[in-house]
Amino acid sequence: MSETSVLLQQVVNGLSLGAMYALLALGFTLVYGIIELINFAHFNVFMVSSFVGMWALQFLGIYGQSQALTGFALAGVLLFAFFATMLAAGVLGVAIERFSLRPLRGASGTTGMITTIGVSYILFNVILLTVGAGSQNFPDPLPVARWHFGGVTVQLKEVLIWGVALLLMLGLQLFVDRTRLGKAMRATAQDAEAARMMGVNVDRVVVTAFFLGSALAGAAALIFGLYYDYTSFIVGYTAGLRAFTAAVLGGIGSVTGAMVGGLLIGLIETLGGQLIAVRWTDVIIFSILVLVLVFAPAGLLGRASPTKS
Amino acid sequence: MAEIGKPPRSGVAGLALRMRAPPLARLSPQLRARFGAALVLAAALAFPILHGNDADIDAAANALAFAALALGLNIVVGFAGLLDLGYAAFFAIGAYAYGVAASWQVQPAWNGFWEPFQWLDLVARVHHAGGDVVHFQVSFWLMLPISAAVAAFFGVLFGAPTLRLKGDYLAIVTLGFGEIVPIVVRNTPSLTNGAMGLNGVAAPHFFGYDFGIRATPYYYVAVALVAVLMLVSRRLKDSRVGRAWMAIREDEIAAAAMGVNPVRYKLLAFAMGAAFAGATGTLYVAKLQTATPEMFMFPVSVMILVMIVFGGMGSVWGVVVGALLLQMLQSWFLEDLSSWLHALGRLVHVAWLQRIELASSIELIFGVILVVMMLFRREGLIPATRRTPALALAEQSAQPTRGGFDHLPGIGMITQRESGRLLEIKDLTVNFGGLAALRAVDLAVPAHGIIAVIGPNGSGKSTLFNAVTGLLPEHSGTIRFAGEEIGRLKPHQVLERGIARTFQNIRLFPNLSVLENVTIGMHARLSTGTVGAVLRLPRNRREEAEARERAREILALFGNRLLPRADHVAGSLSYANRRRTEIARALASQPKLLLLDEPTAGMNPAETLELAEQIKSLNRLGLTIMLIEHKLDVVVNLADKVVVLDHGEKIAEGPPETVRRNEEVIRAYLGRSAALA
Repeated sequence: MSETSVLLQQVVNGLSLGAMYALLALGFTLVYGIIELINFAHFNVFMVSSFVGMWALQFLGIYGQSQALTGFALAGVLLFAFFATMLAAGVLGVAIERFSLRPLRGASGTTGMITTIGVSYILFNVILLTVGAGSQNFPDPLPVARWHFGGVTVQLKEVLIWGVALLLMLGLQLFVDRTRLGKAMRATAQDAEAARMMGVNVDRVVVTAFFLGSALAGAAALIFGLYYDYTSFIVGYTAGLRAFTAAVLGGIGSVTGAMVGGLLIGLIETLGGQLIAVRWTDVIIFSILVLVLVFAPAGLLGRASPTKS
Repeated sequence: MAEIGKPPRSGVAGLALRMRAPPLARLSPQLRARFGAALVLAAALAFPILHGNDADIDAAANALAFAALALGLNIVVGFAGLLDLGYAAFFAIGAYAYGVAASWQVQPAWNGFWEPFQWLDLVARVHHAGGDVVHFQVSFWLMLPISAAVAAFFGVLFGAPTLRLKGDYLAIVTLGFGEIVPIVVRNTPSLTNGAMGLNGVAAPHFFGYDFGIRATPYYYVAVALVAVLMLVSRRLKDSRVGRAWMAIREDEIAAAAMGVNPVRYKLLAFAMGAAFAGATGTLYVAKLQTATPEMFMFPVSVMILVMIVFGGMGSVWGVVVGALLLQMLQSWFLEDLSSWLHALGRLVHVAWLQRIELASSIELIFGVILVVMMLFRREGLIPATRRTPALALAEQSAQPTRGGFDHLPGIGMITQRESGRLLEIKDLTVNFGGLAALRAVDLAVPAHGIIAVIGPNGSGKSTLFNAVTGLLPEHSGTIRFAGEEIGRLKPHQVLERGIARTFQNIRLFPNLSVLENVTIGMHARLSTGTVGAVLRLPRNRREEAEARERAREILALFGNRLLPRADHVAGSLSYANRRRTEIARALASQPKLLLLDEPTAGMNPAETLELAEQIKSLNRLGLTIMLIEHKLDVVVNLADKVVVLDHGEKIAEGPPETVRRNEEVIRAYLGRSAALA
């Protein structure tokens, strides 16, 4: 393969990763936009969801990568898997909010964030202690189909990832822009106190943000499993930090920003790995995180600034 | 004055109370604390002698190393309120500093450059087939302070970018640095041997005694380290430095307005916390004689955080107890508990009971501890601030007495008769986006005068105060104070020049005592620095004692309103008392000019009258006062001159009676029809 086609192939890979990061980043940004909390539990909501996705597919009798399905069977299986994973993730997110964060609403400073670190640790270790440390073979019912454009290969699963991510993000955008609850969310993000006085049920808005954000993390987790054909108790930390970087890069609190940031981080990861070295990828991404926060805290599209008011 | 300054419980009643108490309580609290500390230290020293098990002594030494780390993180998180999620990075830096300086890891070719170092015994010349090489063999004892200094340097380096960030973002940036450091270590094998780990790190020697791989000598070094760090932490906490940190933690803007330089003290906290970790890293790597990047990842930072959350953020004994308990849980209790469960399983023939390994669930326990502590006991096992009992009913319902204002203790500066204009503002304009909050305002405050600034809500009164006190650096125009341009000064510099203020929405340090709040007001007038605070020289002790005495005298200005509550946390005070405390805090800075932003807001008529009188007495003592006030009777009663702002412009200025009849003022306040009537 020529130099150019290697880079183009990495762009394709980066877009797939980026779509996944974008979905995960939306969860950070939705919650931050509403209650100004960096939700560390989100990392492992993603990880737990990937196991839920795996169990959902196994429940339908699909193990490993050899049982490729087509047509309605494939569509049905995927629909069920996405529905089950997203629902379970959403419920998990709501439970976390209800039992560990709502009692702390209004507590000062970093209390909420420290709590989410604790929750994240609990999720992480529950999976580690029950499922074990080994990585799990993720069922994959997708037929192997590839298209070649010049030197670049695009796989069916990548097209699927892009499609699902695009659909979900469009749906979220429509929800936030067009529905009554979406309007309540935007109002709460601007000024929770004023929204409350105008009759917005802020608790419901917060629950909605957690549900939607976690459900999107569930979708991202299923995509992750289908893309890499494995999952493990450790996948939450790296993916979570990268997605968080994406949310910051795009501008925390901004839905469009999270999408743009996700794609950029995906591209930076694959192209950086190609052009510099994979072992420095994390340093590159963390440097972006630090540099954006220090020099351009509003990110690319953010309105809220993480500096002191 | 001296009588008022004394603690309330004295005389015959106090004596009787002390006689009835059990023997230990008869000692003063300080003596009791020292007695307790000596007992704990004696027990710690006796432990290896009484308990000969080398593995247990080793585990205890590790636990103490983590107690030292917890003490360091406690300075950053507990004292200064800066949540650091990458603290293990400094542990790594200290470990690798010694690891490289006393191992076979780096061996440059020998040349003349190294000779002076050889004389100092820092390096050795080793004969090698391909030419002689340098062997680094810096002494452990020398490296302890050097590693601390290197880590402190990185503390400042990593801390500096976070200065402007809000708490949770600061945490994320520190997390980023915490991730970057181990990766850099892993990816630079020429220096660190990468993921393989350092090898052959030298064991310390003590006058020819080789520590080797015995646990006991390391244990004693760890005990000494923890004891020293506890002493340093305690002394810093109860000093001008510690108060500055806690003020920043409670309210950074108020801290700056009371003379604390936030940049300086935040960086000091980062440096100090990192230094603790650096020294501990050196001890740890010397004990293990190896180090790998995996020893310093995120879980380690979280573990140290769990320790201080569990023990009690900001509490020196708390974090040490928290660290020791969790380490012992990890290395002893869980193992024991598992083997008991196994025994039980064998007894009742249940297979799964015999397979339980609780030690592997330690991180799950950490997670549960974090959540449970945050939900149910945020102050930790041993809280940093002891709750002061509420006042007795008699004290609560005591007839309020008004303090005397015939002299202002310790405030000599303002009684010097200065003449002319103390504060002179020319052409001051402040824009918020497109909105002009202040437009070309001219204003002069004569020395020893009382000026009132009035105007409808949103007319720019508080903006004016913020601009004068350095909180709004983006303005045009000049602000001169005692002949000096102060428009570009930072808030703490403005306070140093002699301008103190209160805030419209009261910005006390809610979790600190009333006395501490007032003492922080003296920050700029005291001089004890880090070294002085740790060494507690006679000069520093005297300064501290005088500061406390003066703070009590200032509280006494408000009669029995604040003095009986001196040890209560400011957040527990009534609204009026919080206003009074804020004024006392401002007075403690020995201002020449006092800016009061709606001092009587929320007070009832009697309290308003009382405060107005007190303001008047302050002025009689020579203090120049500028106040924002909505109650016109207060304004008329107090002010020599009234300045009226409306929509950011000065619309009137003059004696209260004239201004009151000014048509434009009436229109601004009451509307057009009222002016016509």
